[in-house]
Amino acid sequence: MKRVMKQRLLLLGIVLFVSTLTFAAGKKETAPAFPTKPIRLIVYTAPGGALDITARKFTDIASKYTKATFVVENKAGAGGMIGWEYVLSQPADGYTLMAVTKTLIANLVATDSKIDPFSLDWIAFLVNDPECIITGVKNKVKTAQEIFADAKARPGQQIWVAPPGVDEVMTYKVWAKAGITGKYVPYDSGAQAMAAVIGGQAEVYVGNPADIQGKPDLMIAVISALKRLPQFPNVPTFKELGLEGLDEESMWRGFAVKKGTPDPIIAWYDDLFAKVNQDPDWRQFFEKGGMELVHYKRDKFNQMIKSELQDFKTYLKK
Amino acid sequence: MELITHLIEGFGYIAGIAPFLAIVVGVIAGIFVGAMPGLSPSMGVAILLPFTFKMPPLIGLVLLTAVYLASNYGGSITAVTINTPGTPSAVATAFDGYPLTLQGKAGWGLGISLVASTVGGMVGIIILIVFSQPLAAVAVKMHPAEYFSLALFGLSTVASLAGKDWAKAFTAALLGLLINTIGIDPISGVKRYTFGETSLFDGFDFIPALIGLFALSEVFSKIEEGSWKTRLSGEISKQEQWPTLKDYWNLKWATLQASLVGTLIGIFPGAGSAIASFLAYDLGKRTSKHPETFGKGNPEGVAAAEAANSASVGGAMVPLLTLGIPGSASTAVLIGALMIHDLAPGPLLFTERPDLIYGLFASMFVANGVMFLLGYWGSRLWIKVTKVPLNVLIPLIISIASVGSFAVKNSLFDVGACFGFGVVGWVLKRHGYPMAPIVLGMVLGKLMEVNFRRAVIMGGYGVFFYRPASLILLLISIAAFAYPLVQMRKESPN
Repeated sequence: MKRVMKQRLLLLGIVLFVSTLTFAAGKKETAPAFPTKPIRLIVYTAPGGALDITARKFTDIASKYTKATFVVENKAGAGGMIGWEYVLSQPADGYTLMAVTKTLIANLVATDSKIDPFSLDWIAFLVNDPECIITGVKNKVKTAQEIFADAKARPGQQIWVAPPGVDEVMTYKVWAKAGITGKYVPYDSGAQAMAAVIGGQAEVYVGNPADIQGKPDLMIAVISALKRLPQFPNVPTFKELGLEGLDEESMWRGFAVKKGTPDPIIAWYDDLFAKVNQDPDWRQFFEKGGMELVHYKRDKFNQMIKSELQDFKTYLKK
Repeated sequence: MELITHLIEGFGYIAGIAPFLAIVVGVIAGIFVGAMPGLSPSMGVAILLPFTFKMPPLIGLVLLTAVYLASNYGGSITAVTINTPGTPSAVATAFDGYPLTLQGKAGWGLGISLVASTVGGMVGIIILIVFSQPLAAVAVKMHPAEYFSLALFGLSTVASLAGKDWAKAFTAALLGLLINTIGIDPISGVKRYTFGETSLFDGFDFIPALIGLFALSEVFSKIEEGSWKTRLSGEISKQEQWPTLKDYWNLKWATLQASLVGTLIGIFPGAGSAIASFLAYDLGKRTSKHPETFGKGNPEGVAAAEAANSASVGGAMVPLLTLGIPGSASTAVLIGALMIHDLAPGPLLFTERPDLIYGLFASMFVANGVMFLLGYWGSRLWIKVTKVPLNVLIPLIISIASVGSFAVKNSLFDVGACFGFGVVGWVLKRHGYPMAPIVLGMVLGKLMEVNFRRAVIMGGYGVFFYRPASLILLLISIAAFAYPLVQMRKESPN
């Protein structure tokens, strides 16, 4: 609870800080009017997916706090590189916003893309979705202890399924820290990977807490978090199991603009994101699924991207 | 029976003007999306998804499901009238539907596709309501080895589709499989034949290829013939003849059999309605008294393909509602529709929100009925397409093809790809290569490759043979491949 309080205070601080900043800026000079036309929000996946829904939810909530119009545009393909290239082809004027996730970084590394990761200015990290290990309630191997014991009893034979990228790297990390080996089998859709666990073809699925919502056949064996989540009081963390360094593995979602977008426009976005982040509807929508809502701004977010690039290079380019 | 009382309550939940309007709008949108090449059922559902955010969950769900249901029928309209399957699952419909139009019997093609779609849709829903629990339990037991064998079995239909030109049909199927290897390797992540072009990372999208191979290749052939002033078929007088009730009744077994196949295939997550319609078409041909007329305008072929793809809708809802696992691209979008209302799809909905589940079931029956009525009335309208002279129809098809392939991913690359496939299709057609096996190879290629490799990682190469279900499917596939060849040997002893 302390952590939540701290975050709330921090957020409150950020909000106050940002609002004074904008107030101050407004006093000094008449800030350039932004936006004067609709903002296009680029989603790098097809309509209907989780990211698409997050983006549309955002535009819905944002409309409470700004008169600006957001238009969601899906530019799917090549693991997000199509969308990324598209954003770079547009002017850096703040009218093209991109919905981003950690998967984008994983795909950038996995495809050896020539795109510069910092051709985007990573301006807002908003949703933090902890990684977790999921098993089937009807299977023999259910709890974390059972997973590790089973993996040690038959080295290299236990089957782990997940989409490639973020969850794949999580798989390798857990194996390395727990000193076990297994078989990683990629599934392009998380749903089909979960079906394989329900059906007993695979032992472990790597995903996020929201994945098991409404699926009584699945359970979370262990979660990557500093302490147990209030939504899942019976799910242990890696630290409790004696595994260090797996407390902050997550899938994140946020927003980026093209590098070179003027500071006043980014300040406008900071202000909007701060308001959305505090919105009760927005919080309820994500917190129910075990996600953590934060608001890290460009400095911290860009820093994070650097360390994650390194991480993916280590695990995906072995 | 408890189920029946629930269902009656379900009809109660959707009694009212708003749910009915949602169904009608959904069916109209679905027919349009299905008929429009380039808009697949899942895209149609996704496009309408944002409109449901502000609706009550039941209304939104009813609307989207109606779109999904009707779009599988809509695909047959353009397949029958202009040989342009509006959806991948309508490819098999065109096999016999378009020849009917060329013979001046478009009314037959459209009538049968509508009735078979309606019957298939109903069968799918009934199976969904009555048997969903046990079927879902079987569906998740499918090992990748079995998915591979099922896909191979699907590919074996090439043998019976081909007739005496089997060598050309096999070449075409191989071409389809080869096209599938373009793009990032789904298992190891290696880039294959992409030449550094980002647009090729995912390979060629299926829909532009489909439009190019079917619609544009036909257009190019017509341009080559230079018969501008003519229409698709000479005799217009018979076009508007519709089958009688007795004609429909004669197709009852073909339709029912295909409905069952369609529902069953629909249940397996990842198999899809296109495979369902191909397999049902193949089965229809093998069990028909007149297999030699398949591909030349046999109404049984139209009935089989259409009943199967509409029945697969009910099937695809089975894993969605009982396990929370979407069985198709469209049901994956339905998950989004539920999530936005803070509802998690899965078995808990049956107890937590029975109004939603049984209301949805009831609405699917109504949607099928509305689809039939609108289709019955509409068929009289869209049959007029066959009266449009070619010099109007050809530019129209070219523009629809361009817009349709652009719509898939908002990408001009796909428009280029569509024209490329059109040229390839035209050249191949001139040399007597059939288009359908290419499509089949593309539909099944990824399913086969991915599941083959998953199965090998999980259980080694032996896994295909020591899993009984996989072994049986493999043996049937081999028999299916061999049978037409043996048959041919017998007929021509030299």
